Amino acid sequence: MDLVTNLAHGFGVALTLNNLLFCLIGCVIGTAIGVLPGIGPVATISLLLPITFGQPATTAIIMLAGIYYGAQYGGSTTAILLNLPGEVSSVVTTLEGYKMARRGRAGAALTIAALGSFFAGTVSTLLVAASGPLLTQVALSFGPADYFSLMLLGLVISAVLAQGSVVKSIGMVVFGVSLGMVGTDVQTGQQRFTFGIPELSDGVGFVSIAMGMFGIAEIILNLERPEARSVMSGKVGSLMMTREEFKRATPAVLRGTVVGSLLGILPGGGAALASFGSYMMERKVSKGRHEFGTGAIEGVAGPESANNAASQTSFIPLLTLGIPANAVMALMVGALIIQGIQPGPRMVEAQPDLFWGLIASMWVGNLMLLVINLPLIGVWVKLLAVPYRHMYPSIMIFCAIGVYSLQNNVFDVYQTVFFGIFGYLCSKLRLEAAPMLIGFVLGPMMEEHLRRAMLLSRGDPMVFIERPISAGMLTVAAIALAAMLMPNIRKGKDAALAEGG
Amino acid sequence: MKINTKDLLSAALLISLALIGLWLNTDHTMGSARRMGPGYMPWLSFMLQLGLGCIVLGFSLFNGPDPLEKWTAAEIGFLIAGGVVGMAAGIAASHVPGWVSAGWNPLGIGMFVGCMVPAIVKSWRPLFLISAAFALFGLVLEPLGLMAAIALSVILSAFADDTHKPVGVVGLVVFLCVLCWAVFIYELDIRVPVWPQF
Amino acid sequence: MSWALRRRILLAGMIPASLTARAAIAQAWPAQPIRLVVPFAPGGTTDLVARLVAAGLQDRLGVSVIVENRAGAGATVGTDIVARSTPDGYTLVMSNIASHAISPSVYGGRVRYDAVTDFSHIALVITNPTVWVANPRSGIRTLQDAAARAKGPSGLDVATSGAGSSNHLMVVRMGQLIGKELNHIPFRGAGPAMQAVIAGQVPMMSDSLPSAASHIRQGSVTAVAMASAQRHPAFPDVPTFREQGFDLASDSWFGLSAPAGTPAPIVQRIHRETMAFLAVPETRARFSELGGTPGDLTPEGYADFVRREVAAWAPLVQASGATPD
Repeated sequence: MDLVTNLAHGFGVALTLNNLLFCLIGCVIGTAIGVLPGIGPVATISLLLPITFGQPATTAIIMLAGIYYGAQYGGSTTAILLNLPGEVSSVVTTLEGYKMARRGRAGAALTIAALGSFFAGTVSTLLVAASGPLLTQVALSFGPADYFSLMLLGLVISAVLAQGSVVKSIGMVVFGVSLGMVGTDVQTGQQRFTFGIPELSDGVGFVSIAMGMFGIAEIILNLERPEARSVMSGKVGSLMMTREEFKRATPAVLRGTVVGSLLGILPGGGAALASFGSYMMERKVSKGRHEFGTGAIEGVAGPESANNAASQTSFIPLLTLGIPANAVMALMVGALIIQGIQPGPRMVEAQPDLFWGLIASMWVGNLMLLVINLPLIGVWVKLLAVPYRHMYPSIMIFCAIGVYSLQNNVFDVYQTVFFGIFGYLCSKLRLEAAPMLIGFVLGPMMEEHLRRAMLLSRGDPMVFIERPISAGMLTVAAIALAAMLMPNIRKGKDAALAEGG
Repeated sequence: MKINTKDLLSAALLISLALIGLWLNTDHTMGSARRMGPGYMPWLSFMLQLGLGCIVLGFSLFNGPDPLEKWTAAEIGFLIAGGVVGMAAGIAASHVPGWVSAGWNPLGIGMFVGCMVPAIVKSWRPLFLISAAFALFGLVLEPLGLMAAIALSVILSAFADDTHKPVGVVGLVVFLCVLCWAVFIYELDIRVPVWPQF
Repeated sequence: MSWALRRRILLAGMIPASLTARAAIAQAWPAQPIRLVVPFAPGGTTDLVARLVAAGLQDRLGVSVIVENRAGAGATVGTDIVARSTPDGYTLVMSNIASHAISPSVYGGRVRYDAVTDFSHIALVITNPTVWVANPRSGIRTLQDAAARAKGPSGLDVATSGAGSSNHLMVVRMGQLIGKELNHIPFRGAGPAMQAVIAGQVPMMSDSLPSAASHIRQGSVTAVAMASAQRHPAFPDVPTFREQGFDLASDSWFGLSAPAGTPAPIVQRIHRETMAFLAVPETRARFSELGGTPGDLTPEGYADFVRREVAAWAPLVQASGATPD
């Protein structure tokens, strides 16, 4: 069978000494930043991108991918032990995980988080392997109108599932798109919204926005609420689950894997959305739903499986369509292009080593993470003992050096300060930063495809409805929007969030 | 009527940014739907943003109350003072010959001063001291080098948290200097001045 | 957005000139990685040739030469970045017929660099003809088919690597010869445009021969016409435009340039190494496989060549009425 031969080829690539080493480095770094609150995969990957230049493309991507899914493993540790999400995707894990820890079941929560993640990682890796080449065939029939509608769908989904008010989130998505218009117009060379500043002619710096709104704003908010930095609650306890816990967690892991895999594929989706979607689902359908709020194991098992599944499947749109599903994938596009590889439908054919090697390495990486996270949990707990007062200046300095080294220009540092203050303001007003960032990433691509679609259709907007793929995407987007406006579904979502505060 | 202050301000933010954008966008040709000019897509997204802002505005009048934390007179006063003084410092700096007006230094000086003024009020410190420390890093990095930039901005940012002790801060500075030298200079070999340039 | 990330490459090099004396750089050059900006997306001729040259220079200079794609606005975005960077020999651009001859006329005042005076031109690397290819399922085999399609009710879409390229001018001039404007679909480079043609979203494409060569050999696209005076030796089966009754010929060229003010010893050194690389039999074999001719101009000769090209294209662009919009 083709799949087996291809995967065998992939393992051949992934198991070379160099690739194994970089996979391990990626996983360890990923776990570390996952455990540490306040520094996420976006900032880390953009900081480490230059190390990968000297390496072949496959090795570089294997390492960067390891950081991303490694962070999903590490994020749960902090969430469970400290009631503090190490990553955005672990926000919902704090709800049940920390309660379990207070009941003395921290060890069981950590175990199910790691095992669930591993299971989900295995399934979703297979899913990427099986569906990637198929989807590539579908992707080849994607016209510009289809690309545009797909990205529109992604933006709608990311706004609809974001925390808080749907309208405000869509507002932020659109603001992100508008912000993406700053810089030189790709087609006509016109300078737009640059105020004559040469530094802006290439657009607002993505890394500056990400580090400002996620790195700096996060430090400020953490400093403002010292109570959130509560010390660890008791001991980890036994890592073994009881038979009862295992029986309850299993279906939750399965459901989380499915939800996560699906939400990961959507552009605009990713780990954070997936864990949130899974949590809402577990509250509704799991057997232990009446225990939610007091430390239900389903509330850990589902979301943790989901976020790991999603972090793997979010590679699908990148590998088949060349569309980054989220900010991390946008960095991957950058990494690929530096290596002279244009992400898109032809990658499977033209770069089999990269495609299959990456997939195989994901599974290898998941195996490594299981070892890194469970037996070695004590090491990571020690990392959490570092007081925040020592942590935040370090994060700040790393961000500052990273931003400056983008192009050895202090303008980027000042730009980051601006977005840090803006990010703080947004979080005070409950305006979500994540939808804005994905709007910023997809906005310029949408413009390009919109223009091309209209050129090809000779100015007829009906093309978006006449093409079946495009029409399908738009229908799903409309349904998602309508559903969120229906009162009872919204109430469900609000209730789920009220718990999290 | 139950006004939701947070939503009201969010709406104001979205609407004002959209209006500014639409106004700036009048410089760009729209083109036709078939051959879109550089102004078409920005027009589309800013109009959408304007519309969404108006919807948020509509909702905000009914779905409250969700007030912001009350600001004290000192907080408001120093915030405004910070904006004014920062702006003035930036403009003044751009007229002083030499290093002060070179490159982006006026912007950095303006930001640094503007952030330091409200940081006098204790409750503003996390926000503005961290921002000021970040701006300070940019300001001193090229003339004084990486080591001095790390030391100065770590010391300044330490005032944002009460629990710091002098010895701990010194230790942190030494640790970060060594770590950054090892990672960024020795390992990654990025091109920044490490020591002061004379 | 990924353009912002590509800047990360700078981590690998770049000292602001103020930090090190110019003379010291010249003596020690090359002491750090060199970045070679390609003003198009990956997969086009500029990119292809740049990566060949980068590998060659890397071997000869002993430092890594990193190719950085900065696409947009008819190759003027990436070129502008190089024009404004420090002339220390560590930033080069793959100058080409779009960035340094046609785009300055097509984009007019929006181009902020001067193709002649803002650069130290180093070497002409390759010249090659333009070729028109079609999707095999489009039913277009000859230029007559294409003309018929263009005159039909729905017109003919033709993809190119971007407005301001020689390919774009070919589309405009061909439309004038046919008597019906062709529907020009610009991309960010020949790579993405070729993808769209192979996928059948756009039936036809005007492309530089090297980036199309492998696709023609694989049969994923059909070569319809070669815009050269005679049939091309590497593709003897492909008829020329003239043979098919359209009096058009168009060469495109690609070279190496640095920001104006780059010390002469560095320019000479890069020129010497590039010429040595072009003289290697493997390079010549690869070039002829791609359908290109290696360049043989001195730095002064190349600068002169660029000056003549800019002057020659200005009236042609005027007459064609080509615009970026």
